[in-house]
Amino acid sequence: MMKNWRFLAGASIVVAVMAVAAVAPILAPYEPNKSSVFMLETPSATHWLGTDELGRDILSRLIYGARTSLVIGIGAAGVALLIGAPIGLAGGYFRGRIDLLIVPVIDLFVAMPALILALIITVMVGPSHKNLILVLGFVMWPTMARLVRGQALVIREATYIEAAVAAGGTSAWIIRRHVWPNIMRLVAAQIAIAVSLATITAASLSFLGLGIPPPTADWGGMVRSGFDYLALNPAMSLAPGAATTITVLGFYLGGSAVE
Amino acid sequence: MLGFIIRRLLLAVPTVFVVTAVLFFSVTTLLGSPATMMLGENATPEAVADLNARQGFDRPVHVQYVAWLAHALKGDFGRSFATQQPVASALLPAIPVTLELAFWSILIAGTLAVVLSSVPTKRWAIEPAIISLNILGVTVPNFMLGITLIFLFAVTLGWLPSTGWLPWSDGAVSHMKHLIMPVATLSAYYFGAFSMVFRAEQRDVYRKLYIQVARSKGLSEWKVAFKHALPNAVLPVVTFMGLAMGQLTGGAVVTETVFSMPGVGRLFVASIAAHDFPVMLAIAMMVVVAVVVMNVLVDFIYTLINPQIRLE
Repeated sequence: MMKNWRFLAGASIVVAVMAVAAVAPILAPYEPNKSSVFMLETPSATHWLGTDELGRDILSRLIYGARTSLVIGIGAAGVALLIGAPIGLAGGYFRGRIDLLIVPVIDLFVAMPALILALIITVMVGPSHKNLILVLGFVMWPTMARLVRGQALVIREATYIEAAVAAGGTSAWIIRRHVWPNIMRLVAAQIAIAVSLATITAASLSFLGLGIPPPTADWGGMVRSGFDYLALNPAMSLAPGAATTITVLGFYLGGSAVE
Repeated sequence: MLGFIIRRLLLAVPTVFVVTAVLFFSVTTLLGSPATMMLGENATPEAVADLNARQGFDRPVHVQYVAWLAHALKGDFGRSFATQQPVASALLPAIPVTLELAFWSILIAGTLAVVLSSVPTKRWAIEPAIISLNILGVTVPNFMLGITLIFLFAVTLGWLPSTGWLPWSDGAVSHMKHLIMPVATLSAYYFGAFSMVFRAEQRDVYRKLYIQVARSKGLSEWKVAFKHALPNAVLPVVTFMGLAMGQLTGGAVVTETVFSMPGVGRLFVASIAAHDFPVMLAIAMMVVVAVVVMNVLVDFIYTLINPQIRLE
């Protein structure tokens, strides 16, 4: 009951944010990167959320920011899946030496603070859309690998796997036909949670000044620049902060509803 | 027991070496010459070569790493590229700030999580409210919560100082006043995470026979929850508290930045922004060591809390 409600709430939020991102050019009243002489205006009828320090319309940047956030969040979760799932499957299904090699690496990565790791790698490779997606995916793959490995360990003991082996199925075929389909539901949930984590981490990197470079509209960066003008126009940092929170909440609720 | 701990710590040594070596090699290859960084873009090639020779930047990377490691093991992390001061003189004063912030946050988050989740409230609307708080705790980004608190309690109401940090010597009251909002911000996430861990364990404990026995003895739900279920479900929370403490030695990066606290996290962000490699590496090494040591310590605490667990 509660879980069902959670999933619906999460899915509605995610769909809404995606819709905003899709029709951003129609929704946004102004060009998101166009500066003007009307700098640091407080909210008014012409600029609902006011303007920033370069005279850009905050509402328009907020709307376009949804695109940045979704691309990075979903992209990073995708990278984590592409690295983590095969490694987790290999460790869980074949066990033995491969597993002995994989487990300590996963444990070490999971124990490290993700944001610190992301900061170090980002400063080395330089922040750009593509790099951020790769870095965040790289930081998050061990969680994905651990989940897949754990599930694969359980499933390989099932009688239907024994039957498939007895029938002469190759390992690749068994993994594809029997192991993976049984893990997919949990993996889907984990992807949603990974998107929420990547969204928080990407916004935090931007907030710390190491995320998406300007002038791209990006919520974390907007929070950072608005923070200096908190007394003047609180919406300048609180609105993009709220947008980040809602997006994270949506993916998290959707993902955590499946267990 | 002691043998186990020593063995585990010895096993952790190669981990620390591997991680710092990977960091050292990738940073020196990817970040470019520290000499240009220190002398500026317009430095003459002679000046760069001279500095390289003096500081040993012209040696092969593995030689530099061994030299760095030899000094680091003696507590000498070199000099900051940005300030030319010894790394230790920047890092040492930052550590107590971060440790205090982390200690209060984890303690408060852990206590609240365990106590609130234990209250037997199935009949009331309190349980969904607490679960919603947990979910918000793990989903609201630290910067959002921190800025919201500053807006409410510093900018609007003027009750608390918005940023900064004062040492104990400036008086306990003003010291604590500066800590309230950072601790609230940092503990929110851990409150959510610890609660989830605790509740998962609690669900299993409530299915156990001794809970039925306690109930059939006629104990109140409160007694069952706090005297029988809580002690048996608290173990995983202790684990997570320990691991969180290890991770936070690297600083609560975002929280310290929002509240301008002179802790390890803010120092780390500054060193990243300035490409100040010695400071970065010192903090990274500290985190790796702390994470590894806390992992061992947590296993040790297990045996104290639950005598059924024997370490071999």
